[in-house]
Amino acid sequence: MKYFLYWGCSLEASGSNYLASLRPVGEALGLEFEELEDWNCCGASISYIGANDLSIKVLNARNLALAEAQGGYDIVAPCSSCYIQMVKVNHEIQEDEGLKAKINEILREGGLNYTGSIRVRHVLDVLYHDVGTEVIKSHVKKGLKGLKVAGYVGCQTVRPYGEYDSVERPITHDAILAAIGAEPVKFPKKMRCCGSGIFLTEMEYCMKLVKDILEDAIAHGAAMISTVCPMCAMNLEAYQHRINKAFGTEFDIPVVYLTQLMAVAFGLDLRADAALDRNYIPPEVVLKEVIGH
Amino acid sequence: MAEKKQKAAGLATYEPSFAKEVFQNVDYGEKIKMCMQCGVCAASCPLSMVMDYSPRKIFYMIRAGKREEVLSSKAIMLCTSCYSCKVRCPRKIPVVDVMHGLANYAIRQGYVPREETMLFGKEFWKQIVRLGRIDEKDLPRRYFFSKGLIPGVKKAMELADMGIVMLLHKRMKLLPERSIKGAKELRRMLDKASAMGPGGR
Repeated sequence: MKYFLYWGCSLEASGSNYLASLRPVGEALGLEFEELEDWNCCGASISYIGANDLSIKVLNARNLALAEAQGGYDIVAPCSSCYIQMVKVNHEIQEDEGLKAKINEILREGGLNYTGSIRVRHVLDVLYHDVGTEVIKSHVKKGLKGLKVAGYVGCQTVRPYGEYDSVERPITHDAILAAIGAEPVKFPKKMRCCGSGIFLTEMEYCMKLVKDILEDAIAHGAAMISTVCPMCAMNLEAYQHRINKAFGTEFDIPVVYLTQLMAVAFGLDLRADAALDRNYIPPEVVLKEVIGH
Repeated sequence: MAEKKQKAAGLATYEPSFAKEVFQNVDYGEKIKMCMQCGVCAASCPLSMVMDYSPRKIFYMIRAGKREEVLSSKAIMLCTSCYSCKVRCPRKIPVVDVMHGLANYAIRQGYVPREETMLFGKEFWKQIVRLGRIDEKDLPRRYFFSKGLIPGVKKAMELADMGIVMLLHKRMKLLPERSIKGAKELRRMLDKASAMGPGGR
């Protein structure tokens, strides 16, 4: 199946281990990802500070219009923030003819037009609904053998529209973890916010949010945390030592992308495909029984 | 008469002028009319315990005409965009979008509810307008130095460890910032959008 991959700004830098593992995993599963040509930033969750709502809508409408002009395939967004920005604008355009006309008047400045035909999908959605857990299972060469993983879903992955999973009790992340042999642990904070785009600037408040999530995951038996969003991954992994300093905790729990775990389970290369060397907290220790060193 | 009694009892009275201002100038501002003060947004918000006023209170204060308090409250800029409130609001108010709209309006009116987040957000948007994308290496640098050289150096030093770790783990882009091909057209679109929307830039 063919999709436009809209990987977004983060996956080119802080989330490079996500993109590095998504491509080979997609390839193994027969997903054809084509880059959406000349895509622009979605505005993320912080643009409202400098821009009005219509400007942010136009940013996303431009990408949707590009997808229509380049062949009309579904757009797949691995980043939850990209995903929700685009889904939101898509909904609003599809539901409001007046808005659509206004946006198209603006898009004309760049010779573009959007009719509202594109479907925006999260990677989790494609993996669960298009590929399916049975097919994923059939690709597993090194099952994760009961490895206890907290499948952190976060916020914008499913909220607010819940297009492919429940907004309060999502199951897709855990189902895929189970398909690759891991044991997804139940932990109540799986949907609680990590601080998102304001973590860096509101660290004193957001560190507490992450501390609570990490504590909850560990208390419920998790040896590592799996994420499907570059912001969740960054906030949960990169600030652990700062949280330890602030709260006297001793967090040192690996945070990986679901696609990295899939690459490991599929028996792909641990560096080139799973990109395990790009994690700040080395996941190899926890994975040693699977990867054999 | 009723109003006098209310005031004497220390209760807030309705004062519609600020509410009207919000309905007209704030993106999604009109949605506040639907609020029935149930407080589900406040109970769902991950940061409401550190806000000066919960989202529910903010909506009430808008109706009560508390312009100064609302536009200078840190609450309107502490939204993490988690969408818990928007999902759960029984009156289908897009609380997240209203909070964002209020923050944008407050800043345009010269208020600075949270300075660091505001500076970061402004640099973020400037970079989108300039390049069409975010360069995660240049954005923090521009944000660090947005208040001048000395505060910039201080902030950069505080977070230097993160930069080094990112670099060592190949999670930093080394290429210089580069704009998208359609950057000029995008800028034209954004100029038009900022002139047309209720928010404006």
